[in-house]
Amino acid sequence: MRRAEWRTSVAIVVLAFAVAGLSCNRAAPAADDKPTVALVLKTLNHPFFVDMRRGAQEAADRLGVNLQVQAAEREVDVEKQMQIVENLIQTGIKALAITPSGSREIVTALVKAKAANIPILIVDTRLDAKAAADAGVQTEAYIGSDNYAGGRLAGDHAVKVTGGKARVAILEGIPGHETGDSRLRGFRDAVKDTPGIAIVSSQPANWERDQGFNVFQNMLQAHPDIDLVFAASDLMALGAIEAIAAAGKTGKIRVIGFDALDDAKKAIAAGTMEASVAQFPSEMGRLAVEGAVKVIRGEKLPADIMVKLEMVTKDSVKQ
Amino acid sequence: MRGIRKAFPGVIALDGVDLALRAGEVHVLLGENGAGKSTLMKVLSGAYQKDAGEILLNGRPVEINGPRDALALGIRIIYQELNLVPHLSVAENIFLGSAPTRWGGIIDWRRLYANAGQLLGDLGMEFSPQTPLRALSLAQRQMVEIAKSLARNASVLVMDEPTSALTSREVDQLFTLVQRLTSRGVAVVYITHRLDEVYRIGHRVTVLRDGRHVATTTLDQVSIPDLVRMMANRDVGEHFPKVRTAPGVELLRVERLRRRGVLDDVSFALRAGEVLGIGGLLGAGRTELARVIAGADRPDSGRVLVDGKPVSLTGPAAAIRHGIGLLPEERKAQGFVGGFTISRNIALPHGRRLGHGGFLPGGCEERLADPIVKELRIKGTASQPVKLLSGGNQQKVVLAKWLAGDAKIFIFDEPTRGVDVGAKVEIYNLMNRLTAAGAGIIMISSELPELLGMSDRILVMHHGRIAAEIDAAQASQERVLSAALGLAG
Amino acid sequence: MTTRLARARQFGTVIGLLVLSAVLWALSPHFLTVANLLNIAQQTTINAVVAVGMTYVILSGGIDLSVGSIVALSGVALGAALQSGQALPVALVVALGVGVACGLVNGAIVSWGRLPPFIVTLGMMSIARGMALLFTEGRPVSGFDEGFRSLATGRVGFIPVPVIITGVVYVIAHVVLTKTTFGRYVYAIGGNEEATRLSGVSIGFHKTMIYAVSGLMSAVAAIMLTARLNSAQPIAGMMYELDAIAATVIGGTSLMGGEGSLGGTLVGALIMGVLRNGLNLLGVSSFLQQIVIGAVIIGAVLVDTWLKPRAGRG
Repeated sequence: MRRAEWRTSVAIVVLAFAVAGLSCNRAAPAADDKPTVALVLKTLNHPFFVDMRRGAQEAADRLGVNLQVQAAEREVDVEKQMQIVENLIQTGIKALAITPSGSREIVTALVKAKAANIPILIVDTRLDAKAAADAGVQTEAYIGSDNYAGGRLAGDHAVKVTGGKARVAILEGIPGHETGDSRLRGFRDAVKDTPGIAIVSSQPANWERDQGFNVFQNMLQAHPDIDLVFAASDLMALGAIEAIAAAGKTGKIRVIGFDALDDAKKAIAAGTMEASVAQFPSEMGRLAVEGAVKVIRGEKLPADIMVKLEMVTKDSVKQ
Repeated sequence: MRGIRKAFPGVIALDGVDLALRAGEVHVLLGENGAGKSTLMKVLSGAYQKDAGEILLNGRPVEINGPRDALALGIRIIYQELNLVPHLSVAENIFLGSAPTRWGGIIDWRRLYANAGQLLGDLGMEFSPQTPLRALSLAQRQMVEIAKSLARNASVLVMDEPTSALTSREVDQLFTLVQRLTSRGVAVVYITHRLDEVYRIGHRVTVLRDGRHVATTTLDQVSIPDLVRMMANRDVGEHFPKVRTAPGVELLRVERLRRRGVLDDVSFALRAGEVLGIGGLLGAGRTELARVIAGADRPDSGRVLVDGKPVSLTGPAAAIRHGIGLLPEERKAQGFVGGFTISRNIALPHGRRLGHGGFLPGGCEERLADPIVKELRIKGTASQPVKLLSGGNQQKVVLAKWLAGDAKIFIFDEPTRGVDVGAKVEIYNLMNRLTAAGAGIIMISSELPELLGMSDRILVMHHGRIAAEIDAAQASQERVLSAALGLAG
Repeated sequence: MTTRLARARQFGTVIGLLVLSAVLWALSPHFLTVANLLNIAQQTTINAVVAVGMTYVILSGGIDLSVGSIVALSGVALGAALQSGQALPVALVVALGVGVACGLVNGAIVSWGRLPPFIVTLGMMSIARGMALLFTEGRPVSGFDEGFRSLATGRVGFIPVPVIITGVVYVIAHVVLTKTTFGRYVYAIGGNEEATRLSGVSIGFHKTMIYAVSGLMSAVAAIMLTARLNSAQPIAGMMYELDAIAATVIGGTSLMGGEGSLGGTLVGALIMGVLRNGLNLLGVSSFLQQIVIGAVIIGAVLVDTWLKPRAGRG
């Protein structure tokens, strides 16, 4: 029996050391006395956030601060994100930049950061104003694209290219997310005064490519005469493009996406996609770290730091 | 095969058995349950390793260390459960794993079907090699299994009760096929319990009893009664400590029980102080009868009366409430929870009685179990899981489960199987004590001496029916065996 | 079970937890602080409570894949009840009732429909999730009063309320499992269902109750999660089933049923909590964390299989 216990512990020790060995490389830079800025992302399995991390890392290297980037395994897992914030607070970070997985839910964790006197910068997705106010959470700044303006940009473009006459379908993100809701609001506001534009269907595809495919395929069944699709993200737009190809309608339906991912740019160049609203996530990352460093130095930031948006079309993608 | 010996812990299954097979003969292997027929065939097919003796093929000694060796030597066994794949075609089944291929791996379908067709034609079978196996009847499937053996050039073919599930027309077809096989020089070992078949198909017969070779003879020299005598007549060396108790009131009455396919119009009564033995071959419906009385299975029709009143056995719980306790045949699978301690197993049926509002007071299981553990002399520590005990002690634990309650009708299904001699005697003594205290026992046993030695009355089952009721005083092994084999008498 | 084998296995897990903690203590100065340990305790609570139900189910030889979806459904029922102005006790009863009802349905279909638990709970996983989404139209229900939120944010002395709730749940569940006939039958059914049935135990009734316990535990977790997030999300609880199974298995409960203990499950949940926390503190990426946790699960079961035949002989 003693042998058996011994084996169990040995196995776990070996594992633990394996973990430690892997993690030492990453933990090492924290040993010096440079201040540490934490950037907590929704996830790292999306090119958008990978770009954001790159921009942030470049800024951190330039400004001489340590950067800790962490994310939950899944974009919607706000409870995991809360745990990450709680754990980071323990490591003595000097500023926290975060892209909330849940605009209201994350507030609880931010209360704890506030209690530990850690300044907070919100990136990409806004906090729910009421929830933050109720909990007494003040943030230093919001850094992000104006999603509403981006939605309007897409709507204006749709009116322009269709000559104000089109049957339109919309692929929504996960309902209840500020980002997606603002984009949709902007798009709808931009087209509502054009009487020739009819929104025939609007359904969530939860930000995902395969769901974009399925949902749009179903929409096409119900409305074979759709002229244009607006997807609140490029991944859903790319899914829709595949559904269009499967239905043999490539070129007959215009697709407008959001985010200007590399794959989307290729599709625009190839002519299978009309346009995409470009965000600049690496800019967000850069501004977040720069803002955090200013706050650490005691400087004040403007409440909203807006990152430019741009319409990427076939003409602009060629340049 | 010469002087084959095989021992299992506690049992000598084969004790110096000889068996000689000639090319082109059908050699019938006879013996009652547990005589050693299957063990002998498993040694031949490499499923078991022999402890002593030798196997010669064409006069040369051969080593069979596993099923692969046996296959390589041309020895094939067809078991009652066929080894076929239902959704493949007949041809694919015949050449499963040895299909003709070309270009290193691609099945040559044309050749496959041609070869299979030829083989089926040779055997006089009328279905196409492309037929999916699941479309065939059981008898036809058996023939496919035989064709499969021939495709691998079998020189010795063992058939284990091939006709048990066949209609008489199918049996005829099978026998024709067997004759064709022998005319090709194949030696066939034929295991059966149907003595009438023996004369139709066999040339010679070997009788085994208790793992020993009794006789080998050509069939024209023996009669059916001779065979029965040879199978049954063993020396009753064991002593049975039977104590007879004057039978008392009727405890249990079973009327016209039927359960589709297993029980056919079974009626009998059990009285206090009586041991009612139930004999019969495997599959005669004995265990099924026990399960119905113990509430584990529901009968299609018929009724059960306890103390003269009809009872509704809706489940094991109902049977237990009426004082019926079952010692199941498959001790390990049905008798106890292997990971539980002795006391927890014994207390398992009595949770409702032991619990106070669902709570088990500390030590209540031990308090219930300890006196019985002592009485039965169950050896094992308090924390030892029952799966680590010996077979005899495990059996005593299952018994103790019912002794701890107020059972008065006990059903013992093969109570001494896999139990060492010492524990056997203890179990017999316990049966005496139970009957002396007014309990009734139904004892199912495949051991004829045990059945004769311990019963007051014996019921013999055959094909789901009660074929004979014999008073223990007039019972003999021949009578029981004849009834079990379905012979008049 | 109080067999030597089970005790040795549990002891081994505890040693594993201590060693893991010692390594993290050596690697990170932030690990062994009162605040961080309370963090770990609080972060472990939800998985630990879901794993109680999972342990019951797995001990009985089943599996429950629907726990995460039941967390979501109970949560949104709770949120809706609170927002419609129901008193807190009423809302809690609604949440617990929803959880138990889902569990009863699972158990009844497993018992009397004679379907494998894997299939039934896989179906329930989808049904409960769909009901949660349908009921809320996909939007989270959020913004609750301080009284309810104190179930997550409050402290008694210095101990967070969820930790106390979890402690109480474990004590009660442990007593039920070891000191009642019901608990005995959980082990017996998992150890040998046929022998238990032939001993006169109603398998159908007890299995149904076992899945109901699992639903109840999911609902308790839903209450804590909703209070913690100040929001009831229909997408909450995804993958909770895998975390709960992992905690149960790391804690030494056999997936074949019949062997294991709640103490082991608690330690298993703590190992996962400590590991996640430690990897966060060390700044290990979420990708690597997944690899490590997967390795620990496999490692723990490997150790189990090494142990068994040896202990059998000893």
